[in-house]
Amino acid sequence: MRIVFIVVAVCLLIVLRGTFYVLQEPGQVVITQFGKPVGDPVTNPGLKAKIPFIQKLHRFDKRFLEWDGASNELPTKDKRFIWVDTYARWRITDPLLFFQRLRDERGAQTRLDDILDGETRNAIAKHNLVELIRSTNREPTLGELAPEDETTLELIQFGRDKIRQEILAAAQTRTSDLGIEILDVQFKRINYVEEVQQKVYERMTAERRRIADRFRSEGEGESSRIRGEKERELKRIQSEAYRKARTIIGRADARATSIHAAAYNRSADSREFYQFLKTMEIYEQTLDSETTLILTTDGEFYKYLIK
Amino acid sequence: MAQSGFGEEIKIPRVQFPRFPMHVVRGVVLAVVVLLLAASSFYTVDPEETGVVLRLGRYVRTSDPGLHMRLPFGIERVTKVPIQRQLKEEFGFQTTSTRARSEFTERGREVESNMLTGDLNAAVVEWVVQYRIVDPYRFLFRVRNVRETFRSMSEAVVRKVIGDRTVNEVLTVGRQEIADLVEQELQALCEQYETGIKVDQVVLQDVNPPDAVKPSFNEVNQAQQEREKLINEAQSEYNKVIPRARGEALQAVEEAEGYALNRVNTARGDSARFVAMFEEYRKAPEITRRRIYLETMNRILPQVSQKVVVDSDLRNLLPLLNLKPEAKGGDKP
Repeated sequence: MRIVFIVVAVCLLIVLRGTFYVLQEPGQVVITQFGKPVGDPVTNPGLKAKIPFIQKLHRFDKRFLEWDGASNELPTKDKRFIWVDTYARWRITDPLLFFQRLRDERGAQTRLDDILDGETRNAIAKHNLVELIRSTNREPTLGELAPEDETTLELIQFGRDKIRQEILAAAQTRTSDLGIEILDVQFKRINYVEEVQQKVYERMTAERRRIADRFRSEGEGESSRIRGEKERELKRIQSEAYRKARTIIGRADARATSIHAAAYNRSADSREFYQFLKTMEIYEQTLDSETTLILTTDGEFYKYLIK
Repeated sequence: MAQSGFGEEIKIPRVQFPRFPMHVVRGVVLAVVVLLLAASSFYTVDPEETGVVLRLGRYVRTSDPGLHMRLPFGIERVTKVPIQRQLKEEFGFQTTSTRARSEFTERGREVESNMLTGDLNAAVVEWVVQYRIVDPYRFLFRVRNVRETFRSMSEAVVRKVIGDRTVNEVLTVGRQEIADLVEQELQALCEQYETGIKVDQVVLQDVNPPDAVKPSFNEVNQAQQEREKLINEAQSEYNKVIPRARGEALQAVEEAEGYALNRVNTARGDSARFVAMFEEYRKAPEITRRRIYLETMNRILPQVSQKVVVDSDLRNLLPLLNLKPEAKGGDKP
């Protein structure tokens, strides 16, 4: 009696487990009966039921799923070899179609590899390298370098975003009947291949050397200019001062002359008196203890000596 | 033991199980059930987290930090998401230790940081993105492997922004602008992918030229400093000489002014004296002249050491006269 009860309970449990299932939140389910899909896919989460044993569940993710491109060495239109690493995000929008066409995620990944790698390769071969790097035709902001030393940004016709969208659009049309939607394709990394890298480094080094040379010669030129300016300024200041001083002195001399003349040149008498006075003054200044004075008795002074 | 008739004839020797008292067994089972019930009915959410509750796989609510109840036995499941914590992704380097001093390694991360600039030069850019989860539902249920996705997005956006700039902009003037732009574009991409992430800040860390060209970049810096040095030297020499020359020039002019004043005033004084004397002289010319002459002589003669008075008739005296006497002194003839 007890054994029967246990057996029945276990059977019931197995049937229940085969009938009811929980669909977790980011999931969706396709139900197949003997390998053939039946009914609509279940996309709402919750507790669900199916016919036990003969119906099977195929669970899929509802979220955006990852796709990472292999890092590929590809030539651009201008024959430059670059490493390109892309990534994409996609999701299963029609689980039934997805199940029929691709079976599972592994199938989807290989199909996406074919499509996205192919489209990437096409797009890159169709464009010059600069089109893949730049995205707008913005003018660079200039730093402290002379404008001639700034590297220029080559103008573009399409740009990174457009090429990306080109790939996305092409891939989307090719995946439209697979029950999936590609949300976005991005260039994650683009880099030169090793040999090109060396060349680029050499070019960059040469560019920097040129800039350094310019700085040095600028420094020398500017310092010479300042020294020259210094010499000029010095000469100007000194000569101007000389001119001013001489002018002042000359004017003062002239003034003194005219003052003297006005005083002494009044009449014959005044001229005579001036001469006399000045002579006396000079006698007084020039005759000293070293002087030998020889005077004759003819003179005014010693004439009384004779008498 | 034996009650009914049939049972007595068939005597099967029974294995005696140790018999537990039934109520003890029941008690233990009940206790286990209650414990399980309690354990699966309560859960705590840490202060920095939020709990996302699924009932039989379907999202029903989120719960704030604290102790909460749920339906037991896995009917309601809780996933905790740290929405208050600021999360960080590092690109081009990796923090290896945060004890006392942070240590970094760049090994193995070069592939993340090497990129091309818009002028087709190469640059090495390391950066950090700080972000928070603002929408736990989206974070859990819209994108699989959000962290990897977020890293890929960030790399793509940074390369796009760097790719539109010259190497000089990247290395010097454009840093802040690049970080701001990356932040904006990354946020936009986060919305597009429905990640539920809010980008707080993008910080460019080391931005360098590739190692192979670093020396030549340093050379530019050096040359630049050399230029400044040469210019400064010349400027300082200029500053040493010119102000001083200006002062000296002023001095010369002032001195000339002084001379001029002196000259004119002296002339005025002399003239004034002369005029005054002349006025008086005119009144008695003869005697005044004589007086002045004699007064002058009076002053001069005592000074002069040798005085020779000769008669007016004497001629040719000079050749004989010894003008340099041995003994100096005022000898009177």
